[in-house]
Amino acid sequence: MTAETLSGWRAGIARMRFPRSSFLEAFSIGFLILLVALAVLADWIPGLVNPNFPYGDFSAPPDLTLNGLFGTDALGRSILSRVIYGARQTLVIVILATAISMTGGLILGMIAGYCRGMAERTVDLLANTMAVLPPVLIILALVSVTGTSVVTMTLTLGILDIGTYARLTKGGVISQNQRDYVLAARALGAGHGRILFREILPNLVPTMTAVVPPLMAGLIITEGSLSFLGFGIPAPAPSWGGMIAASTDLISRFPLLIFGPILAIVLTVYALNTTGDFLARRIDIRERQI
Amino acid sequence: MTAPLLEIRNLSVRFPRGRDSFLAVDDVSFDLAPSETLGLVGESGSGKTTIGRAVLRLLAPGHRGIVGGMRFRDAALSDLRGGALKRFRAEAQMVFQDPVSSFNPRRTIERIVAEGLEIQGLPAAETRDRVDAALAEVGLSRAMVKGRRPHQFSGGQCQRIAIARALALRPSMLVCDEPVASLDVSVQARVLNLLRRMRQARSLGMIFISHDLAVVRSICDRVAVMYMGRIVEIGPSAAIFAAPAHPYTRTLLDAVPVPDASRKLVPDRARAARASRLEDGGGCAFRGRCARATGLCTTQRPPLAPVPGGHMAACHHPLGAAASAPAPASA
Repeated sequence: MTAETLSGWRAGIARMRFPRSSFLEAFSIGFLILLVALAVLADWIPGLVNPNFPYGDFSAPPDLTLNGLFGTDALGRSILSRVIYGARQTLVIVILATAISMTGGLILGMIAGYCRGMAERTVDLLANTMAVLPPVLIILALVSVTGTSVVTMTLTLGILDIGTYARLTKGGVISQNQRDYVLAARALGAGHGRILFREILPNLVPTMTAVVPPLMAGLIITEGSLSFLGFGIPAPAPSWGGMIAASTDLISRFPLLIFGPILAIVLTVYALNTTGDFLARRIDIRERQI
Repeated sequence: MTAPLLEIRNLSVRFPRGRDSFLAVDDVSFDLAPSETLGLVGESGSGKTTIGRAVLRLLAPGHRGIVGGMRFRDAALSDLRGGALKRFRAEAQMVFQDPVSSFNPRRTIERIVAEGLEIQGLPAAETRDRVDAALAEVGLSRAMVKGRRPHQFSGGQCQRIAIARALALRPSMLVCDEPVASLDVSVQARVLNLLRRMRQARSLGMIFISHDLAVVRSICDRVAVMYMGRIVEIGPSAAIFAAPAHPYTRTLLDAVPVPDASRKLVPDRARAARASRLEDGGGCAFRGRCARATGLCTTQRPPLAPVPGGHMAACHHPLGAAASAPAPASA
């Protein structure tokens, strides 16, 4: 037992039991950390120009300066700056939508998985209904009524994923509820609330953390599609989808300008999926050790 | 005889199986006296575990398939609600077959042992003292378990921790469901000695569920042999092991391995297929595997009746002292 010889934070780290990560996994996690850091600290990056003001020539090709790394767009704005500020918008939307769907899904899934019966059938029906609704079309229909709105888009994205989280939570609750430790807790006198929140819920955390990144990747693609179509993040604000749409108009004369926003989307989606795989492998390792 | 700690009368437990249902426990009655150990033996699926869980009110809440009376210290178990049920939980505890899976993997050992006391609402200082005392009783100490989790301990240590968790509540009844089946033989002996010591020190009534006859014999005062949800033989452990009256008990005893190479096991008869649990035969459930079965056994279900050994067996043709069968091989 190695933990015997360690103490304090060193023992704590030893107990976290992370699997060895491959180069691509390490790269993906590193990229995500970098992306979040850039998005949060965008205002304080020395030398980074305002994404909404012209900085150089119109449609200048990429060069090796900071602001010109991906070139400038048709209005002379720095594409790198717009990619970084666009990440900020996208991340806020994705994180808020995930918070909504996770909260809703956890509540519904725990009720369905613990009570079974009628509650389970209702939640299943709800989840199946949500699963067949195409998010892009739903949001297009909604914004055609309300007008383009980031709030509507975020709320809808969040609500449509509730079913997925509910189903995952339900499955987890049902499988944990059959374990001996839950029976033991009941024998010790634990009530339903304690069993659900103190026994079962903490054991769902690893599974849930592993499914969040791939679902976030899906949200990024949906948000990108909507912004590309002009129904997502409204025009003057930088958004990855909107930048791709703008570059496609110029693609025959300035093909390199589409590179920046596409690279951002592809790398982010890839990194999120790879991180999900890494976290899923980590659960397998934990399960084997327990 | 003193008033029994636990009284079970005509208990039946039925589980739904799709449109069908499955009778896991069929009309079982027995008593458990304070500080007595009753062994429940039988093959897998004979209903031992279900009885253990029914007695602790651990079958699914709102389960409608339970029929019959269960009384604990003169209170009907089915009537217990809220606070009374919580107090019963402190009185009646359980030890599981696989200790590791009976612990929440995300808790430290200290939290695991303290959990029952926390739930019962004891003040923190008393909880701490009782956890220390319970750990000491099972040969561990807070220093040994500090900050560590279940997977860092061996199976035997975990089972001792499980016993500490149960005993910290100072129960008067303990249901042990195959508590040593997953342990090495040398560790088994340690855990059994611990249970024996606890029983004496605390006048603990114990229901000891096992398929291992040698273990049951060494720890139980009385034994109930179960077959297909029914008790087929019940009585003092010594009487049953000396002179089993039910042919099924004999079969079980013959199956116990003994270190004697010259002994040859000759089955009385070719093995018959086991009857399905779902088909409801009117007669004795064991008749298909029994060498002594007659026409009576197919038509009439044998009731539990006194047999020569001084205990009870449910058989129309019990093995008596005068039986022609060879003497039981287990010495």
